[in-house]
Amino acid sequence: MIRLIRAEFLKLRTTQVWFWLLLATIAVGALLAVANIAPHDGIRSEEKVPDLFATFAASPAYILVFVLGVLGVTTEFRYQTITPTVLQTPSRWAIVTAKMITYAITGALYAAVALLAEAAVGVPWLNSKNIPVHFGNSEVQHAILGTFGVIALFGIIGLGVGALIRNQIVAVVVGIIFLIVLENILLAIPVVKKAWPYTPNGGTQAILYTHGDATPVNGVHLLSTWSGVVVLLLWAFVPAILGAAITMNRDIT
Amino acid sequence: MSAPGGQIVVDDLTKVFGGNVRAVDQLSFSVEPGSITGFLGPNGAGKTTTLRMVLGLVRPTSGRATIGGVPYRQLPNPTQTVGAALESASFHPARTARNHLRIMCTVADLPMQRADEMLDLVGLHDAARRKVRGFSMGMRQRLSLAAALLGEPQVVVLDEPANGLDPDGIRWLRGLLRHLAEQGRTVLVSSHQLNEVEEVADRVVILNHGRLVRAGSIAELSAGTDSVLVRSPNLQALHTALTGQPVTVEPVDPTAVRVRGMSAAQLGNLAFTAGVELHELSLQRFDLEELFFSLTSGQ
Repeated sequence: MIRLIRAEFLKLRTTQVWFWLLLATIAVGALLAVANIAPHDGIRSEEKVPDLFATFAASPAYILVFVLGVLGVTTEFRYQTITPTVLQTPSRWAIVTAKMITYAITGALYAAVALLAEAAVGVPWLNSKNIPVHFGNSEVQHAILGTFGVIALFGIIGLGVGALIRNQIVAVVVGIIFLIVLENILLAIPVVKKAWPYTPNGGTQAILYTHGDATPVNGVHLLSTWSGVVVLLLWAFVPAILGAAITMNRDIT
Repeated sequence: MSAPGGQIVVDDLTKVFGGNVRAVDQLSFSVEPGSITGFLGPNGAGKTTTLRMVLGLVRPTSGRATIGGVPYRQLPNPTQTVGAALESASFHPARTARNHLRIMCTVADLPMQRADEMLDLVGLHDAARRKVRGFSMGMRQRLSLAAALLGEPQVVVLDEPANGLDPDGIRWLRGLLRHLAEQGRTVLVSSHQLNEVEEVADRVVILNHGRLVRAGSIAELSAGTDSVLVRSPNLQALHTALTGQPVTVEPVDPTAVRVRGMSAAQLGNLAFTAGVELHELSLQRFDLEELFFSLTSGQ
């Protein structure tokens, strides 16, 4: 398994997608810091400082790592490198497991980069406004740990969606429409919106914001932090397992 | 060299696509170590589907295929047992040739310098750090071959490896295949270029419409198929002289016949004794192409 994971990292490093998505992550992290501080209703007090570090995972910026995960499987089908991959490793479970671990670690690395970008822009700026940033603060730590967890899981969610759908364009489009459009529509419909806490965004919000007092989103109460983790884990593992068991097992012609 | 037993056995293999297309139909044959087996058939005969079933990429509808007695999917370390080059398009266009092989080395736990050694072997040394995007068909074929040979496998399966190679490349490939067979490896090569196969293969398996039409060594297939072309201005006298001899005579044109069952020397002697004037007396060797067309046409 270690060899397979090393090979997956080598696959990732030897193409260019990781680089462009990393640049985008840095840029988005910096822009989100600006968006959290610059407006009049931005961060104006120490209690709001955790928002700076939760913003990457809380905004649709996680799409970047989701897409990276989707591409981790679908480019193999697009360029038929799945043939040598499967010839070398006939077990689809081994392939999917190695990719899940690889993209979870990669997601955590991207989360670290995004947090660094937010800190690089945000910390000196807030200090100049006499708002101190304490990394020892438990809410700041919660936001940082939550970001690592959420972004790593979105790497696996992307991978699972890719394994399930196999087609690159379809998987990316379906994923983005679901995460950004459908979930928000869901949240706007009475009654149906009670399902929202169990969506990827609902789980994410629970992980990031149910520390201390949980504010309802559009009248819907969030789950607890650990329930949110379970929700995201299900979204991460169910598609990956279905993909490994069903679609990845189809004939490779 | 890995453990012995590199025999490929295809046993009653059938693949039905989409409920009614029988791509491969109750196919059985075996491929022996230490020889080159040509896998022949017209386009759409089911060659690639068969190879993909042997390699565990396509699930058979019924029947099974084994390598050294084991289905491909159960091989403990496939890269070191079977090397396969299936199609020249299985590369990420933005990845370099060297990185493609280094990824395979990592999975198979081979030293990274195997990648460079294989690139040298197939003549891609200078293109090692170039992206596959810019590779010609022939270069992709060479890279496929490098990937297939990476783990020094006992069994080598190549699908149309000569496609896109120039005449020098084809000659080089032939030498390489011969070398692999001499080392005791099992070499299975699919092709539609019959004369290429005839020159290099020890055995052939001929497929048409997913069914086996003929399998055997070139020697077996050619046994009794040699004939002698005899041209004479007086065929009538030749027919008279051949009466009672254990031969078959078929007309070729008004001045020539094809005779089977007698050597050119025997025929020459017979004609000389009978005083028949000959204008040509030539041995017609076994022609795989002719056999192939006779077996695969009109079905």
